[in-house]
Formats: sequence, structure tokens, C-alpha cells
Amino acid sequence: MADTLVHADSHAHGHHEVDPGPLRYTMGSATRTTLIGGVVLGIICLVLSFFQDDTIQHTRFWSNWLHNSVFFMGISFMSLFLVAAKVLFYSGWHTVFKRVWEAYAQFLPVAIGLMIPIVIGIFMHFNHLYHWADASALAEDKLLAAKSAFLNPVWYAIAAIVIPAIWYFVFAVRLRALSKDEDKNGSGDFEQHKKMRKTAGIFLPIAAFSSAAVIWQLIMSVDAHWYSTLFAWYATASWLVSAVGLTILLLVFLKIQGYFGQVTTEHLHDLGKYLFAFSIFWSYLWFSQFMLIWYGNVGEETVYFQTRMEQFPFLFWANLAINFVLPFLILMANTTKRKLGILSFVAIMCVFGHWLDFFQMLKPGILETAVHAAHTPGADSHGEDLHMHDAHAAASDDHSDHGEEHAADAHGEAGHHGESKSYAGFMAPGLIEIGTFLGFLSLFFFVALGALSKANLVPANDPYLEESLHHHV
Amino acid sequence: MANTSDSTYMEPSDDVHAEGIHAGGTPIVYGLYDDEVDLIEAVRKANADHLDIYDVYTPFPVHGLDPVMGIEESRLHIGGFVYGALGTLTAFGFMTWVFTRDWPIIFGGKPYFSAPAFIPITFELTVLFSAIGMVLSFYLICGLGPGAAEVNIDDRITDDKFCLAFSSKGIGQADRDQFADFFRSTGASETSAKVL
Repeated sequence: MADTLVHADSHAHGHHEVDPGPLRYTMGSATRTTLIGGVVLGIICLVLSFFQDDTIQHTRFWSNWLHNSVFFMGISFMSLFLVAAKVLFYSGWHTVFKRVWEAYAQFLPVAIGLMIPIVIGIFMHFNHLYHWADASALAEDKLLAAKSAFLNPVWYAIAAIVIPAIWYFVFAVRLRALSKDEDKNGSGDFEQHKKMRKTAGIFLPIAAFSSAAVIWQLIMSVDAHWYSTLFAWYATASWLVSAVGLTILLLVFLKIQGYFGQVTTEHLHDLGKYLFAFSIFWSYLWFSQFMLIWYGNVGEETVYFQTRMEQFPFLFWANLAINFVLPFLILMANTTKRKLGILSFVAIMCVFGHWLDFFQMLKPGILETAVHAAHTPGADSHGEDLHMHDAHAAASDDHSDHGEEHAADAHGEAGHHGESKSYAGFMAPGLIEIGTFLGFLSLFFFVALGALSKANLVPANDPYLEESLHHHV
Repeated sequence: MANTSDSTYMEPSDDVHAEGIHAGGTPIVYGLYDDEVDLIEAVRKANADHLDIYDVYTPFPVHGLDPVMGIEESRLHIGGFVYGALGTLTAFGFMTWVFTRDWPIIFGGKPYFSAPAFIPITFELTVLFSAIGMVLSFYLICGLGPGAAEVNIDDRITDDKFCLAFSSKGIGQADRDQFADFFRSTGASETSAKVL
């Protein structure tokens, strides 16, 4: 391994010699302490949120838990996607740091573990995250009943646990094992690389379709009446930008720690291009979804943006500013992608911005479901989705006055009295949400860095290693 | 390093000088290299020897050549941004004027001023202005375009040869010998002279 690197460097005409740093990553005690501290902070915030909002059945706690689990499961999944896509499409530049993506993918089983309490809660009805999981709503609501073949607890469990488990246990484990085996037994016939390519070729189409189902179930179904065919793409793009952002941040961190001497400004420049390009891609999808719904002007569809623009204006506009305007303007120039300070700043901003994007996707729908559930104890006679109130009022004549008042009431509480203590943590992330995010982030890095330390940082016998070491933009 | 073969190695001579493309232009001496790595090493050595490089010609963009030659980053992309911004303003401004002042029409029950509807065309015009503006700027800066004089030292530099040229204006035989030594020692497969 060390010989390979020295060999590679001696070939680099004109490139000054780099100190590759240690072969393997070992988590320093300061890092370990910080990460464990972060996890403890996250647990404290979760406990605080659990006891803080019992007027709506601990929904602040459950929605924070779901939000962060989904966010980091997605980052982990997108890292696995990047590993597979890169190996299948003859990509070479990333090889020197591909172990980072492999390590990120190792978070998947933890993410599945995090989803289990939510799934159990849906079966046992002790959380109120999803409108379709509300038995009383389901009994009265034709739309929910019609969708119940897909929007039901069993399918939810498949999307939250079974599909990610297939991603991990069938594909991630195999790609990782082959990659490690290549270090040890790799030779000129690139046997492991060819097997990786086959695995990746099977994984990618499965991942493309199954991730859409996961996004429909876990994210889009909080607004159970509403749907958008673009939504899965849009959420995937959000995950992808976050994954690229965290990759940049970890590489910069490891370089500061003296690791990854072979990862140069050239690699980070290309990752900066990814951050830029996928931010634009996200914006493109966001706008495509928005414009079609705005132009079509169908009440069942526009209610989604109507709710967000009128009741959650901070989330709506901050989302666009942080995830489109700022990265677009800052990363446009060549030089900003090559200055690690600016690049890291934008990466932090984008990771936070897309975390906020998922907040914005989940919280409004969850709040309405929770408020609805809290204000209709026992058997609810209306089954009225507050969210869909306007569309329904226009469509149905037998709409009860009581339901209307009731809906307006809840709307008012959720919207205009957002500062009401009961609904803190829904209109915008509060300190508890930030703390919970830091907790999950620490857990993510604790798992990922642990996985990173179990193999050499630079894959020794990858056929594209030389290309990656000489990468020049 | 490519081997210097005696059979293909030609000393620059005054005869070759006379065959220049344009009499009265800049006289140059140049070496042709078979490998871009040799070329970069030669450029490095020329810098170390304080030789004034006239220009370098390659069949494809050679990575790492620009910094070695001390070429600064192009400012063309700043122009690209300005043209793009101009496209954004033109498209958005024009549509706003048309739909609010000049010829207001209601489309699909939307207000006259409907920003989301303007975005796709604004995007297209931004790209169009940026692309066309940059191409024209590039042509202007490089003196390219229809009717521009063709400067091609050797046809093979569009194929598989890498050329390093020095100006030979007003130099004597001693300097000429120094260039010949330089080309030979840096592995040029051929050397010659011309007037551009």
C-alpha cells in the first residue's frame, strides 16, 4: 500500500511530493469526545422535546426524530448510490476518497434502527405523524381509503425498513467487502472491480425505483391527500447535495488532521462543482414542481404551496435563498470552489439548507395531522383533512359547518398563533431542533468515522487509483 | 524523454528563414516534441534558462501547461457573467413591459405580472446571451473569425506534435546555437525556423 503511493508519486511529473499521511484513520480522543458530546446533546434535546409539547401527543419529538432519521438515511443512501454510479460509469477522479462514501453508506443499518420506533408507533398508534395512519380519519375519508392499498402501516414498514435493509445487506455490504478484498487480494485482472461493477449495475435501477417509494412513504405521505410525481426526484436531489456537502466537510476535516494528503484542491474543486451543479439541479426540480402546480392552479395541488407560503413563509423563502441563490452566486466562480474556507462555508450552508428543506417538507403536514388528532379525541366524525380544507370546501356540498369551524380553528392555531408554545419547533427550527440535528449529525459521523477506520483510507489496488492521484481539473 | 534522432534533427538555417509565411513578420525558431511531458519539461527549462517563449502550440489542451507558462486565468468567464446578467434583465424586463404595459393579456387567470411564468424564458435568454457573448468576445480577443489570417507553424501541431517557439528577432549565431542546443537537450524531435 505505502509502496503503491510512493510509486505513484514518483510518476507525477512536476507535481510536488505530497505527504500522504497515515494509512488508516484512527479516531482521536478529542473527536470521539466531541461526537459523544454531540450525541448526548441530541438525546437531551429529544427528551426535552418529548416533554415539551404533550398537547399534540409529543409530535414535536416524533417529527424531529423522523426528520433527522430520514435526512441521514438519505445521505447514507446517496453515498452508496455515488459509490455504485462511479464504479459503473468508469469514473476515476474520486477513487482516492471513495472510502468516505463507503463509510457513509455504513450508516444505513443505524438509520434503519432509527426508523423502527417510528414504524412501531404507526402500528400501535402512539405517534401522529401520518394522516393516513389515523384510523378515525381513514374511516371517513374517501381519498385516504382509496390510497390505503399503498398508504398503510405494512407498506410503510417495507419502505422504512425492508427496502433500506436490501440496499444495505444485499448491496452495500457486498460493495464494501469487495472493496476491502481488493486492498488485500487485488491484482491485475481486477476481479473485484468487475464484480463491483456488476453489483452496481444491479443496484442502480433497483435503487432508483425503490428510493422513490421510500420517499413517497416516509416524506410525501405526511400530506396524504397531495402528491407530486416530481417529488421523489426533488427529495433525492436534496439528499445528494447534503451528501456532497458532508463529503467536502469530512475531507477538509481529515486533511486538517493530517490524513488524505493525496486528496488535493483538484478533488475538492470537483466536489465543489458537484455541490454547485446539484444545487442547481435541486433548484430546477423545485421550480419545475412549483411552476407546474402554480400554472395548473388545481386546488388539490396548490394547497401544498399555499400552506407553506402563507403559514410557513420563513421555511419557504429561506429554503430558496439558502439552497439556490447563495450557492449559485458564491460557487459560480472558479476560485471559490478552490478555496477550502469558502467551499467549507458553502458546504455547511447547503447541508443545513437541505436539512431545512426536509423540515419544510415534513413539518407542515405533520402539524396538521397532529393538531387534527389532538382536537378530535376518540371517534372523529368528520375525517376532515385540515390541510385540504379549501379544496374540499369547494368540492363537497355536504361539508358540515362544524367541520369548517373546526378546521379554521386549527388553521388559526397552527398558522397565525404559531408563536404559541404548543407548536414551537414547527414554524421554524428552534434550538431543540438544532440540538437534535447536531445529535444525529454526531451519531452519523461517529458511525461513519468508525467504518472509515476499519479499512485503508486510500484503496490500494483500485484500477483507477493512478488516475485519481493524478487528477487535474 | 523522446530520443533525439539525428536523421530527423535539422539545424535551423537561414534558408528556412526565407520560406516564412509572411515576410516581415516575427521570425521564430521552434522545436517539435512528440510528448506533452517533454514539452512541459522543456517549457520549465526555458523558464529556468530565462529564454523568452514566443508561444506554445499543442493539438489538445495540455494539463498543467498554463501555470508552467505563467499564463493567468482567463477573464472570459467574467464576461460570461455580465452577458448572462444582461440576458436575465433583458428577458425579465421585456416580458414585464409587454405583459404589464404594452399588451396585457390574462393567461389562465394569472395576474399580468406573473414572475414564475417568466422564469423559463429568462433562463433561456440568460444562457443564450452568455454563450453568444462569450463566443464573440473570444473571437475578438483572439483575432479569429471569417477572413482571419491562418497561423499554422506546422500542420502536424494539429495532429500529434507539440511545438515550442522562441522569437529569433535580431539574434546572432551564438543565440541561434543556444536555441539549437536547447531543443536538442530537451528532446525535440525536430527543429526549424520561420517568419510568422
